[in-house]
Amino acid sequence: MVRATSTPRPRLGVVKLASCDGCQLMLLNLEDALLSIAERIDIVEFPEATSHRSSGPYDVVLVEGAVSTPEQLETIHEVRREAKSLVTIGACATAGGIQAMRNWANHDAFRAAVYAHPEYVESLATAQPVSDYVKVDGELRGCPINGDQLLEFVAALLTGRRANLPDEAVCAACKRAGRVCVMVAQGIPCLGPVTMTGCGALCPGFDRGCYGCFGPREQANAASLGAQFVAMGQTPVEAGRLFAGFTGYAPPFRDVITELGGAPGIPAGHAPSPASTGTPSGGN
Amino acid sequence: MTSSAVTTVTTEPRRGTGFLPRAEFQHLIDLLGEDGRTVIGPTVADGAIVYGEVRAVSDLPVGMGAEQSPGRYRLVDHHDERYFAYAVGPTSWKRFVFPPTLDLAESHRDEHGHVSFGPVHHEIPKLAFLGVRACELAALGIEDRVLLGGPYTDEDFRKRREHALIVAVQCAEPGGTCFCTSMGTGPGVRGGHDVLLVELADGFLVSSGSEEGAGIVARLGLSAATEDQLVEGSDQLVAARDRIGDPVATAGLHDRLLAKLDSPRWAEIADRCLACTNCTAVCPTCFCTSVSQRSDLDGRTAVTERRWDFCFTKGFSAVALGGNFRPRVQDRYRQWLTHKFATWIDQFGTSGCVGCGRCITWCPVGIDVREELNLIAPPPVLGTEAQVAAHAPRTSVFHVDAVRPETHDTVTLALSTPDGMDWSRLHGEFVMVSVPAIGSIPISISRRLPTGMELTVRAVGPASTFVTGLERGAEVGLSAPLGHGWPVEAAHDHDVVIVGGGMGFPPLRPIVDEILAHRASFGEVHIYHGARTPSDLLYKEELAAWASRGDLDVGVTVDRADTTWLGRVGVVTQLFDHARWDGSKAIAFVCGPERMIQATVSTLAARGITQDRIFISMERHMECGVGLCGHCQVGPFFVCKDGPVFSLAQLGDVFGREGI
Repeated sequence: MVRATSTPRPRLGVVKLASCDGCQLMLLNLEDALLSIAERIDIVEFPEATSHRSSGPYDVVLVEGAVSTPEQLETIHEVRREAKSLVTIGACATAGGIQAMRNWANHDAFRAAVYAHPEYVESLATAQPVSDYVKVDGELRGCPINGDQLLEFVAALLTGRRANLPDEAVCAACKRAGRVCVMVAQGIPCLGPVTMTGCGALCPGFDRGCYGCFGPREQANAASLGAQFVAMGQTPVEAGRLFAGFTGYAPPFRDVITELGGAPGIPAGHAPSPASTGTPSGGN
Repeated sequence: MTSSAVTTVTTEPRRGTGFLPRAEFQHLIDLLGEDGRTVIGPTVADGAIVYGEVRAVSDLPVGMGAEQSPGRYRLVDHHDERYFAYAVGPTSWKRFVFPPTLDLAESHRDEHGHVSFGPVHHEIPKLAFLGVRACELAALGIEDRVLLGGPYTDEDFRKRREHALIVAVQCAEPGGTCFCTSMGTGPGVRGGHDVLLVELADGFLVSSGSEEGAGIVARLGLSAATEDQLVEGSDQLVAARDRIGDPVATAGLHDRLLAKLDSPRWAEIADRCLACTNCTAVCPTCFCTSVSQRSDLDGRTAVTERRWDFCFTKGFSAVALGGNFRPRVQDRYRQWLTHKFATWIDQFGTSGCVGCGRCITWCPVGIDVREELNLIAPPPVLGTEAQVAAHAPRTSVFHVDAVRPETHDTVTLALSTPDGMDWSRLHGEFVMVSVPAIGSIPISISRRLPTGMELTVRAVGPASTFVTGLERGAEVGLSAPLGHGWPVEAAHDHDVVIVGGGMGFPPLRPIVDEILAHRASFGEVHIYHGARTPSDLLYKEELAAWASRGDLDVGVTVDRADTTWLGRVGVVTQLFDHARWDGSKAIAFVCGPERMIQATVSTLAARGITQDRIFISMERHMECGVGLCGHCQVGPFFVCKDGPVFSLAQLGDVFGREGI
């Protein structure tokens, strides 16, 4: 009648691609719960916590970071083969992250400008979300991911229920929390209406617009919101640039940037489309 | 109101209207705060006038107001002494009587698989609402009808409502998005309050609307208002009414709106609509909720949490296997607008809108319902309970007495209750099956037993997968039977046609049981079952036994055959589109996937069965099961409470419409 007790402990891996490790740190930051989790899950790979390396197979692997180098491209295919369930965590893995800003620019010119010896830097022309290369079974969004969502994900994994990770807008959480809309009451542009909830509407609680770090929610009408920013007095390029943050490479935001301008690193008046890599089968 | 929340009839003791000088207003705040009450009223925070705790006059928005227009709200300083010279802001009193999140129940599952379910008890705070407008009183009255009108009631809401003293303030400063005049809810207060204030230049006219309010007013020790003061108050109200005008033509709006379900305007609105949920979140009457479970890591203890949910999200209308009945934003906007202004009236006898204008002001892109209503359904002209104190059904622990596998992913469980209650006498079509820490799902009853029932369950999501894995002796939580089932009595002396596709067959099985128990009361009986493949067929032995009786006509077909199958292949309608029976004397009961139902219904209609004699069971996202959460709405119905079984005649043009 109760299966959970008899099943072997699930094997969990944490794999890092191009990222800052901040999402892995959220797992470490669970502190009190971490020991309980470790009693119930075999954490077989976790670079931020241990230098011990183990290859799969994994029941679940959490992937942090974008695919930015040829080596990472090999890694992600290898991890996919070894994982029953592959879950991407954070803005880099789910949307390309900050490093995907280079997708709008000339990658070789960037590399030459930044590094003394660009020939030592092996990287792909674009930084892509993991789902552009392999099938992804689940996502934890955010920059960084939210600790409560991570804990909910783990609890759901262990009990066998569906994790409660709503696909609603940040606005829903903002209104439940009783916050006043910064866009309507103060004229501050806010990405909340088109961004997936999960952060608890953090920024609007501090009189800031949402930066979109959880990325676009389902059917995000980013075009309408961009037009509203312009109606509120932003120039089209300023409005477009508001979408060009942590998750700007995610399609609905990317399309607005293409439409309005404001691509990262591109002067006003030039609005090229981001580089396309001819991506890949297996995306979701 | 502190007594009897539902009956909002004013029992005005009419001891006249007193005058409270502005300098003495603190005295009123102090009186309201006696008896352990917290006074909640207007206060300035985060660039808006919101409702928060008020201890002193200085907490009030002294001299402040706000400019409001579609998608825009700005505080303005009137540079005067008034406390209430503003139109309603983003907060509504809903937050205090119907909290955004609420723990409903706690459940446990121990290491032996024993389960238990219990409520979570909440300390209900005693509150005084200061500054309630006419439109807001109307909104509270609407919530009373929705949440306390029955047959199921929200007892947490009732207690919070009864624990709140209401001090209304007459509106003198309407905002740019107000339209209470059109909705007939304001600006003048017409009851539902304990105390009524009218703010004048130098102070307040004070009167009472209840015994408790009269007590408070008496303790203020006021002098009677002068004639001039009374005139000043009524002039303000008239001026407020004139400023609002009559922006929405509401006469006949119900019918006009429902006639425009196919308007191209819905898609145009969806180009702008962000589906961000702000309109519903600020609405003082929107009541839809969802529940989810929080658990410890082992799933031993779980808390069921209810939170405000919104019909603009995709998850709101999602069902198992990835289906969604309102996939597009235009479907969701149409649902919201037609519910507020039309089908709400069918359900609750009142419009769901009070004209407060919040949904207009707080829409980030400024969609204006006044404008949309006049565009979608422009006027020509003309136009329009028995409360049972039964709370949402308690979850009872049931034991699994037997498990019979039906297919690779489907089992039939026989369940009984240890409390010895005679479940066979409880009407209802389905039960909510609860598993601690995993969730709650609606399952149709597939057979009634003297002390329980059989449920046939297919493993689709986590909860159904868990339930299908239960073994003999296991425990699980069940609600009392819910919803309206098949009107089998109506089929007495008629021929009966039963058509079940896939998992739509189990809900029909009790009809066959009933017919067999009183076989002579029915005419010819035709039973048709279609499945995807031979291995997906349900109740194979039972079907064979029914077929061999000789007094039942049983047809079975599969979409795709395998090497073992020698029977019919094809869709279920092929079993009877040329069968030799006469539809003019038949009643049909149909259940299955939506598309199968549509195909079946048109074939049955072609065979001469009229719409009032075709009954179908509808699938929707059912969550609370008792008509309080809003998920399963179809036109004027909640599928869980009004259905899930409907006649086609009842459904009218709601049946088969995309995105409704």
